[in-house]
Amino acid sequence: MLFKIIQAEQMKLKRSPVWLAFFLLPILPAFMGTFNYVQNVGILDDYWYSLWTQHTLFTCYFFLPATIGVYCSYLCRLEHTNHNWNSVMTLPVPIPYIYLSKLFTASVMVLATQVWVGILFIISGKLSHLPGPVPPELFEWLAYGAIGGIVICGVQLCLSLIIRSFAVPVGIAMIGGIGSVAALSKGAGALYPYSLMSIGMRANSPGGPMICTPGQLVLSSVLFLGASTVIAVLWLRNKDVVAA
Amino acid sequence: MMRVFTMEFQKIKRKGIFTTIAILLGVQCLWGLWSFGRMSGEKLAQGWFQCLYHFPILNAIMMPVVIAVLVSRLCDVEHKGQTFKLLETIIPAETLFHAKYLCGVIHVTAIALLQVFMILAFGVIKGFGGPIPWDKILFYLISTIGVHVTILLLQQVLSLHFANQMVPLTVGLLGSLAGLFTMFLPKGVGKLLIWGYYGVMMRVGLNWDPSTRISDFYYVPVDWLGVFLLAFMFAGIYVYGRRSFARKEW
Repeated sequence: MLFKIIQAEQMKLKRSPVWLAFFLLPILPAFMGTFNYVQNVGILDDYWYSLWTQHTLFTCYFFLPATIGVYCSYLCRLEHTNHNWNSVMTLPVPIPYIYLSKLFTASVMVLATQVWVGILFIISGKLSHLPGPVPPELFEWLAYGAIGGIVICGVQLCLSLIIRSFAVPVGIAMIGGIGSVAALSKGAGALYPYSLMSIGMRANSPGGPMICTPGQLVLSSVLFLGASTVIAVLWLRNKDVVAA
Repeated sequence: MMRVFTMEFQKIKRKGIFTTIAILLGVQCLWGLWSFGRMSGEKLAQGWFQCLYHFPILNAIMMPVVIAVLVSRLCDVEHKGQTFKLLETIIPAETLFHAKYLCGVIHVTAIALLQVFMILAFGVIKGFGGPIPWDKILFYLISTIGVHVTILLLQQVLSLHFANQMVPLTVGLLGSLAGLFTMFLPKGVGKLLIWGYYGVMMRVGLNWDPSTRISDFYYVPVDWLGVFLLAFMFAGIYVYGRRSFARKEW
């Protein structure tokens, strides 16, 4: 059943250029970050690790949360228009599956983005003639970053279900991303959903240890995902009739 | 025109646009309190420099997305209700275009003005060193409004053209990211993108000594070439955008 609903989500996205945002977004920091790195090799002297900072610092603080916000808004837009919530809610499918299928679709996009970020990082490093091999931690950075990204998907989907506007959840994601800088500086990064991605990707200290332990990151992610799923399901169950 | 213009404000009633602006300014205010609250001695003496250096960076990060959200709210209401065809039978398309634009301009001008009041309040309350640099602050205000309204125009053209608001919001996001990056690249790169003009219009430069880790600010002259290029971009987007909207079949 869940698989069929996921297939339906894929059909809704057919021929939609929504993936383009995730394709284009990492190219900018890869291009400009590498250029900035090459210009400042004297200061940024940690080779691959310095390049990683240039590629990911701004992106996972400010821009990936907002791009995920755009994607999640898009995933809910079809239902918000033309009274489609009425049709969706009368389908003989369990309500949690509606949310979970959207979460799965958004998570796949986050995973694909992480792979793309990794590929761009390796290409940029090779083109900049960086000495030494690609950091062995790269897979770990990307994997933990993906977990943090999926948490943002969960929260944003919840917001996009509740808020009927396309743009407002994107604005909230942007403010959420900026708030992650404050949360991290206060040492509360693991307690704030929008900072989990930058913690996982270790955007500001790729060579050092993670701000929290991997266990804490995973536990926090599971808690946030669980909470957003419960809120979304309760909302759908109680408020679905508002389908104007 | 006045009637159409006032109608725009009726359309956005209870849409939470003023709340969005209040949240934006609240975040900037918190940032200011957080960074200026801890300042003392040397840093406080360079307080005006700090403000005129850091607020354009904040603008480059936040404003393109905020403007994209604002414009999307103004235009999406017509897409959702499929009202363009109806409206254009009553009023000329250009009037509608101008009314929406003016409504947006009022909002972004209010944001810039409130931000400058906030900077002045920080300076007076914290006691930044030296007299208030009125000329630099006035240029900051005018140039910031100039960049805001140019980005607003581009976003409006996109938001009116594409019924799918994902496109203008993604452009806003990418622009914001590109604008932020151009601040760390040679100034000429920033002039190629409208989002880079927050950096081009900056009147403060920074000398950072990596060995002593001491940063020293200094004033830079107005980049008149940048001012003209921005005006040229504005005119180009305006002519194209107005024409394409008037000719669009709904």
